[in-house]
Amino acid sequence: MTTDPTIVVGVKQVPDDDEVGIDPDTGHLDRASAPAVMNRPDRNALEAALALRDETGGEVLAMTMGPPTATDVLETAVALGCDDAALISDRKFAGSDTWPTSLTLAAAAEALDADVVVCGEETTDSSTGQVPPGIAAHLGWAQLTYVEALEPELEDDTLVAIRDVEGGHEVVAADLPVVVAVAYGENEPRAAGLHRKLYAENEFEPLELSADDLGLDENEVGMDASPTEVGGMETVEPVEREREVADDVDDLLASLRETEVLA
Amino acid sequence: MSDDGTVDVDEYSDVWVFVESHDGDVMNVSWELLNEASILTEQLGEDLVALVVGEGCDDVAEAAIERGADRALVADDPVFEPYRADPYGEQFRALVEKRKPAIVLIGGTHTGRDFAGRVAVPAHAGLTADCTEIDVDEDGLLQARRPAFGGNVLATILCKDHRPQMATIRPGVFEASDPDPDREGEIERVDVVVDEADTMSAVREREVGDTADITEADRIVAVGGGCDGDLEPARRLADALDADLAASRKAVDEGWIEGARQVGQTGKTVRPDLYVAVGISGAVQHVEGLNDSGVVVAINNDPNAPIFEHADYGIVGDLFEVCPDLAERIDAEGLVEVTND
Ligand SMILES: Cc1cc2nc3c(=O)[nH]c(=O)nc-3n(C[C@H](O)[C@H](O)[C@H](O)COP(=O)(O)OP(=O)(O)OC[C@H]3O[C@@H](n4cnc5c(N)ncnc54)[C@H](O)[C@@H]3O)c2cc1C
Ligand SMILES: Nc1ncnc2c1ncn2[C@@H]1O[C@H](COP(=O)(O)O)[C@@H](O)[C@H]1O
Repeated sequence: MTTDPTIVVGVKQVPDDDEVGIDPDTGHLDRASAPAVMNRPDRNALEAALALRDETGGEVLAMTMGPPTATDVLETAVALGCDDAALISDRKFAGSDTWPTSLTLAAAAEALDADVVVCGEETTDSSTGQVPPGIAAHLGWAQLTYVEALEPELEDDTLVAIRDVEGGHEVVAADLPVVVAVAYGENEPRAAGLHRKLYAENEFEPLELSADDLGLDENEVGMDASPTEVGGMETVEPVEREREVADDVDDLLASLRETEVLA
Repeated sequence: MSDDGTVDVDEYSDVWVFVESHDGDVMNVSWELLNEASILTEQLGEDLVALVVGEGCDDVAEAAIERGADRALVADDPVFEPYRADPYGEQFRALVEKRKPAIVLIGGTHTGRDFAGRVAVPAHAGLTADCTEIDVDEDGLLQARRPAFGGNVLATILCKDHRPQMATIRPGVFEASDPDPDREGEIERVDVVVDEADTMSAVREREVGDTADITEADRIVAVGGGCDGDLEPARRLADALDADLAASRKAVDEGWIEGARQVGQTGKTVRPDLYVAVGISGAVQHVEGLNDSGVVVAINNDPNAPIFEHADYGIVGDLFEVCPDLAERIDAEGLVEVTND
């Protein structure tokens, strides 16, 4: 029987999709100058974690692996209601692909004594969705991905989820401890309360965890432990479109006739 | 495997394709992968191996041979039906470690993305997500290409010193092969290493309805947030155009339409001759899935909606008026020969 569970939420700082501008010289997206924000799907993860705590008690801790500037997303998490937050930061983590990233987050989840790890569906910058199953695999825990709703049965050390599967839904019960990945857009993230917001901005200091703190060797993390590498990047020319705006339905039909899609 | 997980890559050969089936129904992406992977095995001079997991799945294994596999490995046991991440991951991992495939391809479905990491992590394999192109270079190294940064860049991901080279592949990007009933291949039943007593999860209910395949549609009318729960106008237009109905993620999340019909980064890639976006804003994640369409039409009441940048023809207006209007004109002028399929 689990009481007062520790719920750890993984949040990541990413370039703001909506603010990515076009580089006037190259005509391509300029992500470097976009402001950094919390990965949108992680807001759903946070909401799911906070809602779970509302039901079960215990505490919610946010964790992020990234540079010290990523403290910003931890502040956001604390403002939204997380009890505390950890910055997992070390030069040794640089160049991590999903294998060492999930190992590092798995070690942090253990260090924080997590019963449940909640993640987003995927990040908008690397968009792999591999980190949550990766954390579960490193820890040998159960996992629940594409989760729409959670139902705790702590008396049986079980977390039940409604999962989105191809063409439908399923209800799955998983043993604790467990890693959850919440389907993007499945809940309405709450707004930050004023008190919490002031605390997050003025007083809050994150717990800091390095590779040494987590007992991770240099060759287990970062570039050295990453099986994949980027071999090259090609810019894809945007698909050429006519971009004609019709005056009315007649005009639209006339244009469509010319394309021969409509005889 | 050495301490850092690197291996002698020469010990690894063959290309494996995971054939995803639920209750005997095979996901089309598996056939797409078998077709595309056969190009790789031809270049490599190696075998194309189908991996079939489930209960009572001999038919699936035979179908995999007909669709191009040289061999099929079958893990058949009640523990594998319905799908769960831990038994699938464990069985797959054991096979990979024992048989040492060079390349493993898995459809980027919820199922494929769910368990792929449970194989790649213990094997310390390279795993590239959601590829849209795959090739091998002259040394036989897999070049896994995937869109990055909202589709503006195609990144090539390599895995030089670890094996297998694993990748999940987006559904709908490759064409499926036709079955050839005369093809022959070896079907081998493998040892099942998973015990029900060791599993960490249990499926209590499973309800699967519409698994429509929009990837083969010639014409598509796609609905978005602008429909506000009322798909009638879009349906009316789809009927007039003899088109299949598809959707943005917003429309799916709102529960107006089944997830199988979602277009985009986390949905399907489609390539119809005509794509009509109805009340869809044109977010990058959506547009990625429709870029291969022939003619794109957008109906949106916001002249600044990004979808107009990705459309050939747009009309600024209220979809509740434009759709029926358009449908009526198409019907009246007999512009589309409607087939009954
Ligand atoms: C990780 C991740 C993955 C994603 N994957 C996908 C994906 O695969 N596919 C996908 O589609 N999205 C995906 N999204 C979501 C995507 O970012 C957008 O949120 C989504 O596409 C928005 O859907 P929409 O344009 O239909 O709805 P909205 O953003 O609500 O836009 C509605 C549009 O309808 C117009 N409209 C409103 N009323 C009317 C009217 N009466 N008549 C005409 N027009 C009207 C509005 O002007 C607006 O442009 C993903 C997001 C993330 C973070
Ligand atoms: N650096 C990170 N720090 C904390 N959580 C992360 C990090 N990277 C990924 N995650 C979590 O894993 C989810 C999936 O990310 P990804 O696999 O990168 O698409 C995210 O939504 C986060 O919840």
